[in-house]
Amino acid sequence: MIAIIDWLVGPWQWGDWMWRGMLTVHLVAIGCAVLGVFLYLRRMSLLADALAHVALPGIVAAFLISGSLDAPIMLAGAVAVGLFSAASIEALSSRPNIRSDAAIGIVFTSLFAAGVILLSTVVRDAHIDTHCLLFGDVLGISDRALWLVVVVVPTVLLLVALFYRWLAVSSFDPRFAAAIGVPVAAINYGLMTAVTVTAVAGFEAVGAILVIALIIVPAATAHLLADRLVSMIAWSVGHTVASCWIGMYLAIGLNTSAAGAIVTVGGVLYLAAFLFAPRHGRLIRLLSARQAAAGGESKK
Amino acid sequence: MYIERAGEFFYFQYDFVAYALGASVLVGVVCGLVGTFLVLRGFSLLGDATGHATLPGVAGAFLITGYQHPAALLVGALVSGAAGALTVGIFSRGPRVRPDAAIGIVLSVFFGVGIVLLAAIQDMESGRQAGLDQFLFGNAAAITPDQFWGLVAVGVLLCAAIAVFYRPLAMMTFDEGYAKSIGINTTALEIGLLAALSVAVVISIQAVGVILVAAMLIIPPSAGRFLSGKLLGVVIWSVTIGGLSGALGAFVSYVFEGVATGPAMVLVATFFFGLALFFGPHGGVAWQWIRRPDRARNSGGGGRP
Repeated sequence: MIAIIDWLVGPWQWGDWMWRGMLTVHLVAIGCAVLGVFLYLRRMSLLADALAHVALPGIVAAFLISGSLDAPIMLAGAVAVGLFSAASIEALSSRPNIRSDAAIGIVFTSLFAAGVILLSTVVRDAHIDTHCLLFGDVLGISDRALWLVVVVVPTVLLLVALFYRWLAVSSFDPRFAAAIGVPVAAINYGLMTAVTVTAVAGFEAVGAILVIALIIVPAATAHLLADRLVSMIAWSVGHTVASCWIGMYLAIGLNTSAAGAIVTVGGVLYLAAFLFAPRHGRLIRLLSARQAAAGGESKK
Repeated sequence: MYIERAGEFFYFQYDFVAYALGASVLVGVVCGLVGTFLVLRGFSLLGDATGHATLPGVAGAFLITGYQHPAALLVGALVSGAAGALTVGIFSRGPRVRPDAAIGIVLSVFFGVGIVLLAAIQDMESGRQAGLDQFLFGNAAAITPDQFWGLVAVGVLLCAAIAVFYRPLAMMTFDEGYAKSIGINTTALEIGLLAALSVAVVISIQAVGVILVAAMLIIPPSAGRFLSGKLLGVVIWSVTIGGLSGALGAFVSYVFEGVATGPAMVLVATFFFGLALFFGPHGGVAWQWIRRPDRARNSGGGGRP
């Protein structure tokens, strides 16, 4: 028993990296989980995939133009390229022979490739660590990244709370929302901006690709478990907090990548929900279908 | 200096240049072929998921075999890539799971598992020099002759298989219900297509890397759709553009130091896509302007089929 407590408490006493990492990863994950619900409901989950990827060329372009890596400039670059790619995805998919998923695939892979090339040639000397941008380093959070997350995520959450009704209405029924005077397009681009900003803030902690998991997986899990928007957000946040704690301790215990472990745990939790969710889990449905069939036979 | 390196490239002064070029062209051709069916069926991003899903297989095979044995890594990639593609299929069936979310979940979670395994490899002594990084963005120059001929053999088999099943595949692509009604086993064909996708991705990852392989599956066929109105035409254009992008990408990557093969190939393909988008006879922007100048201003408002 004491050993277990020791194992749980121990990491917190080894230095301040534990609480710094935990704070950062929780803030990023909760921000992503809340925004992810709205993206999921709008069937825009894969736009998160695109936005997280194109933030990389955004940051590189901002650095090329301004020569600095200050947080506001970085965020501005990422948001500019993010909105540009969202607009070009929309323009491309309005052509009759391009589907929207192909449009997403074309735009983000091209921009990401451009970002990777710029990173490896023109800005090779800048202190942009490709490995860190892609995979993150939860336990080695810098002061800058910590501050960025502490400022950005609460702001985003506050904005979500302020615009909650508009967001909810336009997620479920954009036409109705437009009819009652909600600025649907503005809300749409606002949401994309929020996703980009949160993703960039999370880069140093979890990396560009794993931030996608933090946006998509909790919302998808919540959709299996909840029937109302509020409870869906609650489940989504609960899922992400659980994955953060379990993943973090697993990573410390196994001495592996914390971001990877958090995402892996999130995936396992999703699988559990997929199979065992009370009403929509596949195994549960299978069992109840069999019971119903058996019941029908005994009645004969 | 660049001209000098370009000269080196064309005279094939070094053997590895020829193999790198061959492998890149092979990637373009195979991905262009398989990608056409995926794009036309509306599964474009499945290639993205499969590409990312190969990472845990590569890393797992490395951990099991203990050293970098190329064939083992590719088998691992094939197994986990196919598992990823099948998982998307299983998840997206039935209610309460959106197909797009299923793709996102598989893509990111498999990649997360891969990162965990990579971190474990980094701790091993032999892991540091393993060069698994080259699977992320591709390094065509690292392909050995043995590997190259292996890739060619698999690629030729794959193309032959698609040629054999071309007619049923074409029917399924355009009208699944009709294909079923005349007795085509669409489920088996679908699984075959997923298998072909996994093989194509695995052939490609050494040259373009797991992150950008999706681009080679999506961009050439999308360009082809602007250039032809027939399936065979789209296939031919897609394969041509894919192969050309591979060749030019390998060239650019050789001439400019530090440019990885994968991103270079993708940018060349994007360039071709841009040309097709503007000048393509089937829905290209420029033709639309010429034919219907009055509608030029709201040409973006055209409905989807």
